[in-house]
Amino acid sequence: MTQAAYRVHRLIQDLNRDQRVAKAFATDPEALFDEYGLEANERAHLREGTPKALMELGVHPNLQMKFFKLKTGLAKAGAGGLKGPLDAYLRDLERP
Amino acid sequence: MGQVVGAFAMSHVLFEPDKAPHKAARVWAGMREIGRRVGALSPDLLVLVTNDHLNNFNLALQAPFIVGVADEYTPLGDMGIPKTPFRGNRLFADQLTRFAAARGFDVARAEEIRPDHGLAFPNLVVNPGNRVPVLPLYIGVGNDIPPTPKRVWQLGQVLRAFIEQQRPSSERVVVLGAGGLSHWLCEPEEGRVNEAFDRMVISMLVSGRGEELAALSADQIRAEAGRSGLETMHWIFAAATLGGSRGEQVFYEPIPEWITGMGGIAIIP
Repeated sequence: MTQAAYRVHRLIQDLNRDQRVAKAFATDPEALFDEYGLEANERAHLREGTPKALMELGVHPNLQMKFFKLKTGLAKAGAGGLKGPLDAYLRDLERP
Repeated sequence: MGQVVGAFAMSHVLFEPDKAPHKAARVWAGMREIGRRVGALSPDLLVLVTNDHLNNFNLALQAPFIVGVADEYTPLGDMGIPKTPFRGNRLFADQLTRFAAARGFDVARAEEIRPDHGLAFPNLVVNPGNRVPVLPLYIGVGNDIPPTPKRVWQLGQVLRAFIEQQRPSSERVVVLGAGGLSHWLCEPEEGRVNEAFDRMVISMLVSGRGEELAALSADQIRAEAGRSGLETMHWIFAAATLGGSRGEQVFYEPIPEWITGMGGIAIIP
């Protein structure tokens, strides 16, 4: 099982908690990759940014979810995107 | 002495019902049934055993076991879960971590947790109105090195010993392990559900063979249930608090449409 280097995980973690990093990723990802010391292979996979690419890189599943959520605004699971997967159940819980 | 009056385990999330409406209905009914059974036991405290999805505890610092020691928690609000605060139990948590430390478990203590769906959603289901204080207990199943099932089982036994030896005689505690079962989230096998493994886990736990199940290694569980299927360890923890007691399957559905096996069990002493 391949596991991504911590520098990759650190970048994705920071994307989700630091607006500066998120903005830099959107505007100048190469400079951000330099800042985090990413290697060519890691840059290529993050640039591609597909589920297959992130799996190949060995990104932690929870960080893959965060990466896709940031990228698309939707949490990803399986073949389809998820939007409010709990909505129906939360509504049911609100009923007296 | 206090008492563990019930140990339960169930998946900690659901997905859109329209992907598998009949299965979704049965799973939801099963979760609500577990909620009713928890409520019927009139617990004074609910111990929720789960994992954080790298929202509070990320890969920068990976602890195997973390107990929330705060007076109150406000959910993170992921997946649309209401950010309604609920009570913790500082004294119980403080005493538990000291008791565990004296028995070989150096459990991390967390003051500032915003529980994500892994804890907040099952709490909504089994603890309507947040009437019962909650002790969050996190197992680092997503860590690079997860704890072994054997250590998880042993910590569950420590919790039981603590309740029985240190807590007031009238205190009634319910333990709920939340997560699982098999799923390969964001792994090449995503979509696979290992129904045989899931049913084996349920069968062993409800027949009082949890300790035998805990002899599996984390790698074995990962191979059979996926990386995210390591959440099965939350079930093992819950069963350990009533080690050897029998129970019953409340529900089980293999749901490839949700990329997971969904289940729930109840164990009563």
